[in-house]
Amino acid sequence: MSEQSKDLSDPNFAGEAPNSEMHDSPGVPVGVPPTAFPAATLAEPQSPPLGPTAAPQAVPPPQSPSDEGDPKALQQAAEQGCALRSLSPAQLGPAPPAPAQLVQKAHELMWYVLVKDQKKMIIWFPDMVKDVIGTYKKWCRSILRRTSLILARVFGLHLRLTNLRTMEFALVKALDPEELDRVALSNRMPMTGLLLMILSLIYVKGRGARESAVWNVLRILGLRPWKKHSTFGDVRKLITEEFVQQNYLKYQRVPYVEPPEYEFFWGSRASREITKMQIMEFLARVFKKDPQAWPSRYREALEEARALREANPGAYCPRSSVSED
Amino acid sequence: MHSSTRKAAAIMTDVHRRFLQLLMTHGVLEEWEIKRLQKHCYKVHDCNATVEKLEDFINNINSVLESLYIEIKKGVTEDDGRPIYALVNLATTPISKMATDFAENELDLFRKALDLIMDSETGFASSTNILNLVDQLKGKKMRKKEAEQVLQKFAQNKWLIEKEGEFTLHGRAILEMEQYIRETYPDSVKICNICHSLLIQGQSCETCGIRMHLPCVAKYFKSNSEPRCPHCNDYWPHEIPEVFDPEKEREAGISKSNRRSLRSRQH
Repeated sequence: MSEQSKDLSDPNFAGEAPNSEMHDSPGVPVGVPPTAFPAATLAEPQSPPLGPTAAPQAVPPPQSPSDEGDPKALQQAAEQGCALRSLSPAQLGPAPPAPAQLVQKAHELMWYVLVKDQKKMIIWFPDMVKDVIGTYKKWCRSILRRTSLILARVFGLHLRLTNLRTMEFALVKALDPEELDRVALSNRMPMTGLLLMILSLIYVKGRGARESAVWNVLRILGLRPWKKHSTFGDVRKLITEEFVQQNYLKYQRVPYVEPPEYEFFWGSRASREITKMQIMEFLARVFKKDPQAWPSRYREALEEARALREANPGAYCPRSSVSED
Repeated sequence: MHSSTRKAAAIMTDVHRRFLQLLMTHGVLEEWEIKRLQKHCYKVHDCNATVEKLEDFINNINSVLESLYIEIKKGVTEDDGRPIYALVNLATTPISKMATDFAENELDLFRKALDLIMDSETGFASSTNILNLVDQLKGKKMRKKEAEQVLQKFAQNKWLIEKEGEFTLHGRAILEMEQYIRETYPDSVKICNICHSLLIQGQSCETCGIRMHLPCVAKYFKSNSEPRCPHCNDYWPHEIPEVFDPEKEREAGISKSNRRSLRSRQH
């Protein structure tokens, strides 16, 4: 099968790939969560920090263990947003508001986001600041964090930054049983885009991917083994050590090859958390092709999906029209 | 009409969360739709559990929402007594829910229409009178032709109801804005003598002037051949409407929705 040897490095794959992926609207079916390469959207406590924070930490809010992923990510994103206002340390401005006022602002923001989503309007961070947060913009981090906690706890919705460049948010439903694993994916998986790139390469090849092939693909994204990346840091360490430790990848020596070479395989955790269909959807998005452009892989993905459905009959219930969501 | 708060600890499960999500998506729902929605949420998230009684179900959710200053509010449409439900924000300013949809001059047009509705005897403001106020609007200048379309947009979005060229408030608007209206129009606000809720359209006693919602009239005078004013005991001169019966409604099918120009049933 010719597509087995097809490399992911499509010559049409433009260098701005990380950004083009971000333009998916929140409405895109979330085979893969609409997170992009910038680590701001990715939620792992050990992910490298975004950079110097300009806004002073006024209120350190408590973190709920179940949602520590998202608030952290939003915190970093909001930090960037708030940092744009560039407050100099000299002008600290008014004293921090009472906690009750911040709580109230969080409630207002919650409603604002719900209504925007109801009207299918874009939730734009600068609008949030202008319309709701106003003079509390120094504390927008904690307000945003509280708002996302409430939305998750009460509505089961995740307030997700979907486009770091344009600072657009979206409310993503977290409860569809068919999407539960994808949510687990977005909350706990590190460097989603980067990892998926590697996993899909391995999948398309149908066997292990040599390290050289992986770097060929990553080079298109501007990543090099010797260069420190502003977001990912030491990329080589990330993919050969961290992802391996987390069981998302396996990194093994190719037998009988001199000088030594290494190849990547799917890790056990990747096999548990990511479905083949998600990989197909990722490929389709990244290469703007129909998933059936990889026919045997697509067939595999369909079979896996069917097997999963049969294994979980309770999770699949038909819906009535009033619930069209 | 107001949901009672229960002090019992309520647990938010995925059933409740899905319910809230979908209620928010639809904006306002009638009782039969809400019941169907509740059943659906159970089916999706907890197939085996027994479906809780709707009132308790909603009260449980509301006890969690209380601290957020929002609630699932139940109301009754003023013209034909249909129960409706909406998620309303109790804390913020009134037109906030509309604010995301409409421009400044459009919102001001709504305010002007509301002024006229509150001032009127019947609870209706004529299209002509509203359009004549177009010059006084804040924001960008609006032509009468535009204003006509904006009024239609209000009707489509279930903020106003149009009836023969006149406009009154949709049940949803009353549900969302009751508090605001009471505060903003303390002198011209009208209250129903039976349920003591805000009254926009209804019937009034010719002698003493008390007012009653049509559905309240229907319930109060049910099978009473000689209806008399509960306040002054004078003969009640108006036609007594029928009590809203959801069962009869379903048997009759959807033909009833063609009775009026209400676009409220389209979701």
